[in-house]
Amino acid sequence: MKPVQLFCWHFMAYPYLDKDFDEKEYSGWVTVPNKLWDNRKARGLYQEYIDQLAYADELGFDGMVLNEHHQNIYGLMPSPNMIASALTQCTTRGKIVVLGNLLPLHMNPMRVAEEYAMLDQMSDGRLIAGFAPGGGPETFNYDVPSANTREKFWEAADLIVRSWTEDGPFAHEGRYYPLRYVNLWPKPLQKPFPPVWIPGSRSPSTMTEVAKRGYCYFLSSRSHGGETHRAQQEFAAVLEKHGDKYHPFRFGILMSTYVAETDQQAREECEEGVWYFLKNCLKGHLRRVGRQLTYGPGVPYIPAAAWREYLKHYKPGQKLLGDVENWDELDASQSIIVGSPETVIRRISALIERAKVGNLLIQFQLGNMPDHLARKSMKLFAEKVAPALRQQSLQQFTQEFPGVNVEASAEELH
Amino acid sequence: MSGRTIEIKGRKVWIMENGNGAPLLYLHGFADVHSVKESWLPFHQQLAKSARVIAPAHPGCAQTDEDKDIDTVEDVVFAYLELLDALELTQFDLVGTCVGGWIAAEIAVRHPEKIRKLVLIGATGLFVEGALIGDVFMNAQPEYGSSYATLREMFFSSADHPIALEMFPDGKGEIDDEVRRYQMLRLSSRIGFKPPYFYNRPLRNRLHRITSPALVIWGENDNFVPRSHGETYAKIIPNSDDLKIIPGAGHSVQVEKPEEMANLVMDFLAK
Repeated sequence: MKPVQLFCWHFMAYPYLDKDFDEKEYSGWVTVPNKLWDNRKARGLYQEYIDQLAYADELGFDGMVLNEHHQNIYGLMPSPNMIASALTQCTTRGKIVVLGNLLPLHMNPMRVAEEYAMLDQMSDGRLIAGFAPGGGPETFNYDVPSANTREKFWEAADLIVRSWTEDGPFAHEGRYYPLRYVNLWPKPLQKPFPPVWIPGSRSPSTMTEVAKRGYCYFLSSRSHGGETHRAQQEFAAVLEKHGDKYHPFRFGILMSTYVAETDQQAREECEEGVWYFLKNCLKGHLRRVGRQLTYGPGVPYIPAAAWREYLKHYKPGQKLLGDVENWDELDASQSIIVGSPETVIRRISALIERAKVGNLLIQFQLGNMPDHLARKSMKLFAEKVAPALRQQSLQQFTQEFPGVNVEASAEELH
Repeated sequence: MSGRTIEIKGRKVWIMENGNGAPLLYLHGFADVHSVKESWLPFHQQLAKSARVIAPAHPGCAQTDEDKDIDTVEDVVFAYLELLDALELTQFDLVGTCVGGWIAAEIAVRHPEKIRKLVLIGATGLFVEGALIGDVFMNAQPEYGSSYATLREMFFSSADHPIALEMFPDGKGEIDDEVRRYQMLRLSSRIGFKPPYFYNRPLRNRLHRITSPALVIWGENDNFVPRSHGETYAKIIPNSDDLKIIPGAGHSVQVEKPEEMANLVMDFLAK
């Protein structure tokens, strides 16, 4: 058994928006005017963010997490593989988690297979390969018709893994990506292939597909009330149904945190970055103000019968994470955990204990949070919070999951 | 309700029929029977006074089975060719509105001999430079979590038009209507999301193949399909009347002005 794995996730927000952005601009996604990009300020920004991730590696985090977004101020990584490539050169220990490449946005999934194989070789076997279908905004950015996205996604994911594991050349006779000569050069280093993580938002069909293939399920929710615990139970049940057994490293969640010397200091230091993140970065994604593009009838991914089920419980105009109006409301959402090391240990421990989650993907830099504060919080977390979480989780997991040998299931290097 | 399900090559197709007379195949758009409403709208009831109106629901709409292999408008055309065979319709009048107008035009360029007379109302389908068809999909994502005002504005002469508010209400409407709207968006996303939006570039160069008399009608204030698309249809279809503009109406002109529109269409078909 191993303790909870602690990863540092960087979204790489655009941090130079004026204070009146929310008032003036309709959205932070897809149509956010790119005249707002300011080279005088943004020069060196990528280096700052990459250095923060390299610092996470130095501090002993189990890995660094990147993801793909297009045409927005929330995440400046249209190609996370480029940042991952840089990380192969300036980090030595941690896993490099790309969560993930948005497969339906690629004309040919082999490009993803190739780049991931390169990253696995360049990082000496440190890649965790994420595949994601892409949400509503990316649908609009890349004109991806929604109705068949999921099917297309799984065909691409399966082709990539097949190209990693099966000797080529072989012909892929697929519905969406027919290819005559699949013959991957280079091959990935990890055998049988790099760990695969798939994000989902509690849809039973995604959980089922993940379970069938033995991958890790990542819950792509930013709030952690009772739903995280329920998602874990649902996924465990799905695994059971497929003759598999849940253990904490089959499951991951995203959370944000800010740690400082005291609760009060923590709140004071992070508040500007937090509100920037909630009001600007989430506008168009997790705010009802303006137009939320992430989920809805205009991006009809799910079958009509599933939509009917969704509508039964849907309450129009409900508050989303970015709509919180004050600190207490934000605090209750368990999305951003802020406080002294003691407070943060207590709250994250409770989350791990309840949700039995083994992969914590943690966002430290929020919105326009300055470099020195992000680093200070990361350092305090690594030194004061992480040891306690590791110790407690190891004890919990050993007790609750006896006989599970996670080391043995870890990928070997050839 | 006058609907029934027929099975064609293992797939269920939902059709409604009303009236007696020469067969009139009606292909629906967004603000329409099958894509919002379960029952006939006044426009169809008027037409049924002098024709046998046959209105199938597009693949995946209302109770018609979804077909995951539909990627382009041509796949929908073939679904309709199967239906025509099943119904033994060899010659008929063809009336299409909005996306249904596009499908009608695509059928007409392939099988002009089947069409007695063709009516296109606010039809999508053409690429007209500098005149993009509106983005239904983005506007179907509510503003402020519940407002569909911009979608209504696209489909009607005004977002506050009573019929617009009834068919596309804010918040959550009647669930069956909501699901029908969703199904229509899902089909449309298959055939109309890429290329952006709702056109088939080669269609324009095929329009000369249409041999039947044609009538092209547009609402004066169509905020979804620019009027230049109507002008193009009317200009290139060899036997078409001049574009007919209905004052004071929006994209869903037959919903806003059912009486006037039904008379116009019936006169044309009787001519």
